[in-house]
Amino acid sequence: MSSASKPYILELENVRYSYEKGSLFIHDLSFSIPEGGFIGLLGANGSGKSTILKLACGILKPLAGRIRLWGRDLLAQNSRDRAKLISYLPQTLDISVPFTVRELVSMGLYPYDIPPALSVDEALDMVGLRDKAGARLTDLSGGERRRTFICMTLVQGAGLLLLDEPLANLDIKYQIELVKLLKNLRELRNIAVIMALHDINMALQFENVILIKDGNLIGSGRPDEVLSQRMLKQAFDVDVEVRRSASQGIYISYDNNFAERRSERN
Amino acid sequence: MRIFILVLVALFIFCCALFLGPQIITPGPLSAIEREILISIRLPRVLVAMLMGMALGASGAVLQGILRNPLADPYILGISSGASLTAALGIIGGMSFLGSFTVPVLAFVGALVTGGIVGVMGWKRGGLWPERLLLAGVGLSFLFSALLMLMMSISTDEGLRRAMLWIFGDLSMSEWSRIPWGLAFVAIGIVLSATRARALNALILGDEFAHSLGFSPQRERFILFVSVGLLTGASVSLGGMIGFIGLLIPHIMRFFMGSDSRMLIPASALGGGSLLCIADLVSRSVLPPMELPAGVVTAIIGAPYFLYLLRKKDVLSI
Amino acid sequence: MKRYFIIIIALLIGLSYSAFAGGSTASPQRIISLAPNTTEILFALGLGDRIVGVTTFCDYPAEAKAKPKIGGMSNPSLEAVVSLRPDLVVVTEDGNPKEFWERLRSLNIKTYVFTERRLKELPQGIRELGAVVGAHQEAVKLAAGIEKAIGRHESGVGGQGAGNKCQGSGTSKKVLFIVWPEPLIVAGPGTAMDDAIALLGYENIAHGAATAYPKYSIEEVLRRAPDVLFIGKATGMDMREVSQGFLKRLSLVPAVRNNKICYVSDNLYRLAPRVVRGIEELAECLK
Repeated sequence: MSSASKPYILELENVRYSYEKGSLFIHDLSFSIPEGGFIGLLGANGSGKSTILKLACGILKPLAGRIRLWGRDLLAQNSRDRAKLISYLPQTLDISVPFTVRELVSMGLYPYDIPPALSVDEALDMVGLRDKAGARLTDLSGGERRRTFICMTLVQGAGLLLLDEPLANLDIKYQIELVKLLKNLRELRNIAVIMALHDINMALQFENVILIKDGNLIGSGRPDEVLSQRMLKQAFDVDVEVRRSASQGIYISYDNNFAERRSERN
Repeated sequence: MRIFILVLVALFIFCCALFLGPQIITPGPLSAIEREILISIRLPRVLVAMLMGMALGASGAVLQGILRNPLADPYILGISSGASLTAALGIIGGMSFLGSFTVPVLAFVGALVTGGIVGVMGWKRGGLWPERLLLAGVGLSFLFSALLMLMMSISTDEGLRRAMLWIFGDLSMSEWSRIPWGLAFVAIGIVLSATRARALNALILGDEFAHSLGFSPQRERFILFVSVGLLTGASVSLGGMIGFIGLLIPHIMRFFMGSDSRMLIPASALGGGSLLCIADLVSRSVLPPMELPAGVVTAIIGAPYFLYLLRKKDVLSI
Repeated sequence: MKRYFIIIIALLIGLSYSAFAGGSTASPQRIISLAPNTTEILFALGLGDRIVGVTTFCDYPAEAKAKPKIGGMSNPSLEAVVSLRPDLVVVTEDGNPKEFWERLRSLNIKTYVFTERRLKELPQGIRELGAVVGAHQEAVKLAAGIEKAIGRHESGVGGQGAGNKCQGSGTSKKVLFIVWPEPLIVAGPGTAMDDAIALLGYENIAHGAATAYPKYSIEEVLRRAPDVLFIGKATGMDMREVSQGFLKRLSLVPAVRNNKICYVSDNLYRLAPRVVRGIEELAECLK
């Protein structure tokens, strides 16, 4: 089945989905995620990012098309086996429950009858929460909470992590921390990540970017290829400038939009 | 382990309730009357109290989890109102087609039917939804209470008083013949919910979470809901409506055991059983030889404690 | 002179006629009874025809069931009562709410409050009620009959003799009157049953309870070991069937061991002339 040199963890083929009868929300979507991929799913609010992630892990069932997980049909798999392969973190985490860090992370063991190779303590070490193992979720900062959930997915042993807008509502410091952590985990454990986000500059951190608009894939590839002026205008309906920074990295500027107004006033 | 301590405490309270009673019976050589009292009257009664309390405590913990609501209680879903309605019908209408099992069976059937109605109303697109369950349950609860009040206002004094005594919690009719049934249903209910404790933990975090961890949220919620129905039905049919236990005990136990359902469900069962044994002991001993309804005692103990709990920080989280 | 005399006589007749027609001294013709026991008393006094309204609980004698209903005892309908244009409403102190008859009085409807609750007060209550309804003769007769019956059964004549001959210890036999077996509700102090038992010279084990019809502890029954059990009748129920399970749990009680269980009627449940028959039932059983 997998003829490519790198096996694909996730393959979507002509997937369609609609929330209400008669109108398609996701139109004929196809893309593939290789092992160890670090993908940013970029698009405006309501463009379908959450839906795609939910389809990818089986929370929603497609109207048409096929979804394959490591070459095997997603929906044909036993849910516990699937849980060991793919893990999903929703956008809003109900963190009013006073579970301790250790309790939450231990929930990653649920799909297993025989405990997996990575222990809870080791996972806590990896994300740097070992000293806070006994703390309650409600006492942690936003960034620490997200890290706890990610730690749980580590224990879960999933090879693919689907994160729905984890950076929303986090201070920039914690956003950076989180992305660094994920990149680190990718190095250590070869975990692939698909993260839905709408911060264009943060998307530059990813190995690959998938650009979504209105349920359609309008671009996919390396950030500097996908995040062009034309593509971003199409996706977000703003005029942007792609600039080079002093260190030769690129960043996206929105100044154009403000500059117009200034000139109008003059 | 803390659960072990709880078991010991529960056993201790069981013995207290058994031997203290309205008059103390000391273990040792007993007169025939005392033996009769102990074996035919007190032992079944305290056993029933323990079983009912266990059912109420466990189902409270489960419900608070699946509804994600810290104020959930077996009565919020209207299951016990439905059971009271059918039981009151039986009492006021003077039915006795099953002998002394008539009213308990009617109550149990009423509980299951009401649970079924709530389940159907809470069902949409292939699963049970917490918000719908809650609304359906509260609505039905109001309806049944109104019907109950209607029935009471048009019935004669005798039947009325008996119905009210039953509804407010009556363990005085506990006898050995009911215990195997009670034990069976309560055991099934607790085992069913305890084996799904991990799923409950996941559900508490959210449906999507539960899915990600390999559970089918709708299926787990349905099974847990069925277990709550069985437990509540068994409890109401054993001795009427006893409030506050399902609401309070999980909160208290969370304080000692944490929020992990795998510990919380058995702990709530033991805590609930102990509390009801104490409440029943009080109800028999305060104004002897008259007996107060046990539900009144739990309300008097429970309500102020509940208000006290409200003042503590973050106690109203699940 | 003769003319003035006739005028004066006519005036006097006219005055006394209007006094009678005004109704304040004439006997009431439209009576409403708001309690089953007063209904029974009124019927026993032969005033059945004058009763125009009763409660839904008034079922004795049979004719009472045919009378128009004005509601329950704790919630009678003011409208129904007023629309029947009664010239007397009979209420009981313990069965009807005080606010109701105060309201009636504020509407200028004549109300008589039957205050008697105990067995020995019944004859006096009948006499007083009889005076108000203008059935003085019948009331005196009825009351006298009840007094005689009560006197006949008073302990010393029936009680200590027949019941305790065998005991020889001088203490009276212990009995319990069960109103309903499950949950156990018994007749406590202040009830006609308790009065009747005391009258007959026996001891009601529930005499020291806190209320009139307490929910009683089965344990206590076992401890106090009554020698005789009375089980009263509830409407429409087969009391033998209903009590089966309950009696099995009391197998150690002398009353059950010696099969001294009497299923009696509900004659003692209302303070009305029937209580005499109720007392006789108890006495019969205790022989």
